[in-house]
Amino acid sequence: MAPDAVIDREQTAAWAAAPVLPGPVAGQASPGAVPSNHGGGITLEDVTVSYKGITVLERLSLDVRPGEIMAIIGPSGSGKTTALRAVAGFVRPTSGRIRIGERDVTDLPPAVRDIGMVVQNYALFPHMRVDENVAFGLRARREANEAVRAQVAACLRMVGMEGYARRYPRELSGGQQQRIAIARALAIRPRVLLLDEPLSALDAQIRRSMLDELARLHRDLPSLTVLYVTHDQTEALTLADRIAIMRGGRLIAFGESQAIYRAPPNRFAAEFLGHANLLPVTLEAPDAEHGLARARFGASTLLAASPHGLLPGQGCLLCIRQHDITLRPAEGPANTLAGIVRAVRWQGDLHSILLDVEGCQLRLSCTPLREPPAVGAVAQVHFAAADASLIPEEAAGNG
Amino acid sequence: MASVSVPMGQRIRFDMRNVWIAPPLLILAVLFFYPLSLIAGVSLAGGGHSISLSHYTAVLGSALFRNALLHTIGIALASSAGCLALGFTLSLILSFVPFPGARILARLIDTFIALPTFLVALAFTFIYGSAGVLNESLMRLLHLPLAPVDFLYSPWGVILAEVTVYTPFVMRPLLAAFSLIEQAQIEVACGLGAGPFRVIRQIILPAAIPALLAGGSLCLLLTVNEFGIVLFIGAKGVITLPLLVYDKAIQEFDYPTACVIAVVNVALSLSLYSLYRMIMSRFGGARAGLV
Amino acid sequence: MLVWSRLGRGATWALLALLAGVVYGLPAAMIALASFSGQWNGVLPSHLTFVHYIHAVEGNSGSQLRVSIVTGMLASAAALASGSWAALALRGMLPLPRRMLDILFFIPSAVPSVSVGLGLLVAFSHPPVLLNGTIAIVLIAHFVLISAFTYVNVSAGLARLPPEYEQIAESLGAWPGYRLRRVTLPLITPYLIAAFSLSFALSMGELGATVMVYPPGWMTMPVGIFALTDRGEIFSAAALTMLLAATTLAVLVALSQIPAKASAR
Repeated sequence: MAPDAVIDREQTAAWAAAPVLPGPVAGQASPGAVPSNHGGGITLEDVTVSYKGITVLERLSLDVRPGEIMAIIGPSGSGKTTALRAVAGFVRPTSGRIRIGERDVTDLPPAVRDIGMVVQNYALFPHMRVDENVAFGLRARREANEAVRAQVAACLRMVGMEGYARRYPRELSGGQQQRIAIARALAIRPRVLLLDEPLSALDAQIRRSMLDELARLHRDLPSLTVLYVTHDQTEALTLADRIAIMRGGRLIAFGESQAIYRAPPNRFAAEFLGHANLLPVTLEAPDAEHGLARARFGASTLLAASPHGLLPGQGCLLCIRQHDITLRPAEGPANTLAGIVRAVRWQGDLHSILLDVEGCQLRLSCTPLREPPAVGAVAQVHFAAADASLIPEEAAGNG
Repeated sequence: MASVSVPMGQRIRFDMRNVWIAPPLLILAVLFFYPLSLIAGVSLAGGGHSISLSHYTAVLGSALFRNALLHTIGIALASSAGCLALGFTLSLILSFVPFPGARILARLIDTFIALPTFLVALAFTFIYGSAGVLNESLMRLLHLPLAPVDFLYSPWGVILAEVTVYTPFVMRPLLAAFSLIEQAQIEVACGLGAGPFRVIRQIILPAAIPALLAGGSLCLLLTVNEFGIVLFIGAKGVITLPLLVYDKAIQEFDYPTACVIAVVNVALSLSLYSLYRMIMSRFGGARAGLV
Repeated sequence: MLVWSRLGRGATWALLALLAGVVYGLPAAMIALASFSGQWNGVLPSHLTFVHYIHAVEGNSGSQLRVSIVTGMLASAAALASGSWAALALRGMLPLPRRMLDILFFIPSAVPSVSVGLGLLVAFSHPPVLLNGTIAIVLIAHFVLISAFTYVNVSAGLARLPPEYEQIAESLGAWPGYRLRRVTLPLITPYLIAAFSLSFALSMGELGATVMVYPPGWMTMPVGIFALTDRGEIFSAAALTMLLAATTLAVLVALSQIPAKASAR
């Protein structure tokens, strides 16, 4: 099928240094240099989108730094696609402003916003060849023939599809078509690349290799700001510098990928991003000795990180990821709990064990065991205090 | 994909977008609505510039007009019923008792839509006319002195011709609707012991109702407007409204009368068209009916 | 599968053959037979001949064929342009005016064709716009009657076009005119061709309005066929009808062969 894409570093450098389009975008410096305000960041200020009485986006404020990849994730109906389309210009905000770089683009049509867009079903023009597809934006802007040809070749090389210029989209596989769609979006040298669930239509195998390619593309185009919408947390965690979690049109959580994963700010973020165990605990006191807090869980005392400013006496949730719980003793300040094994499931590359710990369910995953514990046996589980974090307990239905 | 996007154009460029509709609208107004309004004007013209209903009272009261109106409506209803019956039967067999070539047969029948309607009327002359195949055969076989079959020169001839020509308009939405019925449903029903007629009555017919309504109302509209068939069959006693308009205007140069009849005809057609639109919007997707 | 037994299936197919044969096969066969028949006094014609076709191609009828084709092509091209324009313009409108205009654009085909002809006569028989007796009035009549169908066809095609194509084109910097030319129209080409085909077929068979407005020098085939039957020359009429049907089908088949590279998913 498709050969593994090889990102040609030299070609990318040539692409980046090529003469730019006339237009609002300033000339670019040498490749590799991080431009100060050149690439656009994206700013959404209090953006609300309502339609026929339904509020699809509610006062969304988001700030994407120039050159970073931000992922917006959330369940369907969360408004993430609407937010993306508002940035693109296909949805008009009822109120609020949108900025790309320094420009307020809220009132501008999509054609002048200097964006590139990639959608789930590729939307390659079926009546045009691959090279005509990639050249479309350049020709629409009346670039000279020579420049267009050179740019098309460069973009196709960048996504590893240089041999396919004269084919038609229907002759290509899904992954190949998506690469052409990306090349087409990048051909016009946009400041911002918008991706709307670009991998959802692809098979799992292709999805993995495409994720690698997207990561490589971003490394080689450091000035490109990327906004990536997906419902798949693996894609978000793999690619994004920062993640925004949305639900019901609102921003639920927002932060650096690792930070938001290790120390989620609320319950929804904890459960949506990775598999989380949530134990109801009561905060007793911050433990200054280890920089950790002490919390009471039933009869036990547990140590955990508490980065969200909780007060002693507060009821909260202790979040510990499945893969951070082990059957062997952990290092450093650690916690130990005893529980009854309820289920043991082998899943090929891991064992998933469900325990009952003082009435609460705890699920742990580990590399496959030669002798897994028996169902009904009592087992001791351990986890490092640094891997656990305390989350405020919210009233039901809060976002 | 979010289906609640508010398209850009609708908010900020409202006025500019709508300007584009002007040219076709203008052409439509000048070439169609203006002449139509003039027809209404002529029908209402009294002496000088006054409006009078004298033409209306004269025409609407005349036996000729009432005769034509009754014929028009009667023929339309009978033809539509015939189209529904024939179309349903043919579609049923083609969809549910298939054979190799069923699709081709459906396409062939569909081709009749592209042909002029009077073709069938002309063909009928050769088949059912007084010197046609049927009569000649019967006369020879049964040694009859006179042609026994003369329904061609009665409304029944027109009805049969119209059924032939307009059944494809019923078959199109029906075939589409039938293709959406899951084969599994019918197999389960037959497995549970239902005979074919029960399956038709209880499974197929309910699913076909929207298509039948759409096709039937469309047939009503088309048969009320039909001109070529009536003209070609040319039976003395069978006059419909369109034919009457033609006679009055072209043969007798009696424009006021022709306009009155045209107004009634147009009103009738527009009512049937509204009925058709209402049915379509009630039952949604069967838009395959019209083209 | 509704009927399972072989007997039942056989009986059903026999019914189908009977119905389809009598209703559709018989008229088609009879017209064909009549067009070739020499003398027809008995049950079947006594001998077959080409003479009616020869008469049809020479003389008046030859010019009628030309007239019909020219009228069909011109009226269909104009109707396609007008209908497509209307369909495209209606896309960007709010739902309510859009529904009203949608109904409005179809009304010319919902009213009897004779009334359309009468209207044109009444409206354009006096100076300053004197079209009565010209070729233009026939073309206009055909145009008015068939533009509704092109509009409906092109609207249906546009409705089936996924919006992503045009949106991506817009995001790449293409202004509306460029988008229309390079993306929208190529993608709906199959519908444009289908609309043209249908319009052409309808125009070739149009009788009601034509017979009201045609000038002596511009007689279309349907009018000519009617004149022949009125005079009693039914065999010539049959031959001419066969020519009409054959020409219409030939053009339709030729149009359907135009390769459409675009297959919008």
